[in-house]
Amino acid sequence: MLEFDGLTKSFGANQVLDGVSFAVQPGSMFGFCGSNGAGKTTTMRVAMGLVAPDGGEVRWQGRALDQSARRRIGYMPEERGLYPKMKVAEQVAYFARLHGMDGRAATTSAGEWVERLGLGERRNDAVEKLSLGNQQRVQLAAALVSRPEVLILDEPFSGLDPIGVDSLAEALLDQARAGVPVVFSSHQLDLVERLCDSVGILARGRMVATGTVDELRRREAGRLLRVVVPDAGPQWADAVPGARVVSEQAGDTILELSDGADDQSVLAAALRTGRVTHFAWQQPTLVELFRGAVAAPTAEEVAA
Amino acid sequence: MSEPRTLSSTALVRLVAAREISARLRDKNFIISSVVILVILLGLLGFQVAVGSGENETRVGVVGSSAQLEQALQAQGEALDTDVVVVDLDDEAAAREAVEAEDVEGALLAGESDPRLLVQSSDGFVEALVGGAVTQLAVAEQLTAAGITDLAAPEVAVEALDPDADADEQKILVALIGAALLYTLLILFGQFVAQGVVEEKASRVVELLLATMKPWQLLAGKILGLGVLGLAQIVLIAGVGVGGAIAFDIVDVPGDLIGTAVSVIAWFVLGYALYASIFAVAASLVSRQEDLNTVIMPLTLVLAGGFIVGVQAASDPDGTLARVTSFVPGLSPLVMPVRQAAGNVAIWEIGVAVVLMLIAVALVVRLGGRIYAGALLRTGGKIKMREALTAER
Repeated sequence: MLEFDGLTKSFGANQVLDGVSFAVQPGSMFGFCGSNGAGKTTTMRVAMGLVAPDGGEVRWQGRALDQSARRRIGYMPEERGLYPKMKVAEQVAYFARLHGMDGRAATTSAGEWVERLGLGERRNDAVEKLSLGNQQRVQLAAALVSRPEVLILDEPFSGLDPIGVDSLAEALLDQARAGVPVVFSSHQLDLVERLCDSVGILARGRMVATGTVDELRRREAGRLLRVVVPDAGPQWADAVPGARVVSEQAGDTILELSDGADDQSVLAAALRTGRVTHFAWQQPTLVELFRGAVAAPTAEEVAA
Repeated sequence: MSEPRTLSSTALVRLVAAREISARLRDKNFIISSVVILVILLGLLGFQVAVGSGENETRVGVVGSSAQLEQALQAQGEALDTDVVVVDLDDEAAAREAVEAEDVEGALLAGESDPRLLVQSSDGFVEALVGGAVTQLAVAEQLTAAGITDLAAPEVAVEALDPDADADEQKILVALIGAALLYTLLILFGQFVAQGVVEEKASRVVELLLATMKPWQLLAGKILGLGVLGLAQIVLIAGVGVGGAIAFDIVDVPGDLIGTAVSVIAWFVLGYALYASIFAVAASLVSRQEDLNTVIMPLTLVLAGGFIVGVQAASDPDGTLARVTSFVPGLSPLVMPVRQAAGNVAIWEIGVAVVLMLIAVALVVRLGGRIYAGALLRTGGKIKMREALTAER
């Protein structure tokens, strides 16, 4: 199991991580969401030893990660990085060797991955001559080439076209099926929802929600109400006690009801605006869960 | 396929160094600069050979030569400090041709009762040479004719006040070439190190590298790899230079030349260790190649200053400036070898300079290593040294 346990970190006065904890089971995929600046990259950099945490640690199979354990992790940084003038296959082989493979195994494995990711014809080209999408594939090959025990990928899908997204998703699912825990961050929440066994939502340096997508749904279920009132003004629901507007678009409104709030009073308010074309409890999408989790500081955050 | 294993620091440093070497060997700029340095050196050698031979050889054509005449010409040549080569010619026509073709500097028509000297234009040197020889020969013949065979002329004993003047001059020249070589290679390889550091920062590959190794391992691999190349290059250049100089007989005392070459190589190692570390640390403060010049400019100025002092030290190896700067770490690699070659330096002086240099290297590696580690993952603009030192990773 890969465990992130109580990570804290501040840069000067800026508290970036404030007790980030979550665990990833072998063979499962963990999607890491959060707005920009929420602390996702810092969390991953802590795991890779690039940032020293003020508190907490990251454990793999019960042991805190050290340099030799990190060599067993495949990593893709948010800022992609390769030697621009080095040839594709050679470069991938170099990273295999840095991860501890010996010369021949590194070359063989690099050749296989380059082939598998569709870069066979470009294997002797300098990386700088490749398109961005292909460079991204080289980056992935560099992360996968040493047959890592753990994968940590920062925004692996950004900048890929839909076909690239599909082939990367397939490659990651392969890894997960082979028993590798995969952690990746992404802003493409539909993708996270589709691929991931569990999800963590990070806001202002805290994990505001973790669990499987279903768990999160259940936690939120019965609280979100979708009402479509085409004739209503934008603030039609503001006066309803216990209801908070999550989103509103041309009368298509998602409302969050606090415990004990009466859904019938919402319906009454809706009917007062004119026609009601839709009124139902909502199965929230991850996007909505995300908005709900990230939008407002929780009570204890405000107190802190 | 074997299972991945744990890597020792040595193995990591070696991997990094091997990559640096193979990347440089395929870099056109590196190959070109190496070739240019060698060509300049060979050119210098060739020039020395050409100038040397022009000074030391005089070709004289003779029609109707005799053994005595040849001997007299050669004796005269010795007195005038030139090697006389006598070219036998058949007749006057051949002599005229040879002079006009500049195959010989003058042609003596000796068969006639009144010897004549043909020259392209009147040239005092050949005239004195030939004239002296003919006169000497005539005097000897007339003395023999008069029955005087064993003329006791007193021989002049020569006492040289500065017997090594020539050798000294050569030592200074060699020292200057050595200093120029040190200066060029230190700047060249310092720049290579700096560019390498910035390349890794600019392309962000450094983040992937640091996920597998510590900053000092990366730095050590880079400096060692390029250092091996630099050392190979200076040894090659010194080998070609020394070998060529000895083969073409340019130097009088080969032992001195070899000694100087060895000390230049040793000082290169020390100088490189210091400057490569400083260049690397300076380069780690910027994120783009365009900004590199602003941080390494002061360093190249220090190196240029050291070179100028070194040149000055060649003519005044025992002056105060040369003495003091030959101990200053950073300047000593450019001044001390010149002093060693051109003057008299006590062993203890060399020892002190070396120890000071080693202390400086240790300090730079310790402090610089922290700056380097702190600055590597920070991008955007130029980082202040203090920020990098206190940077929390």
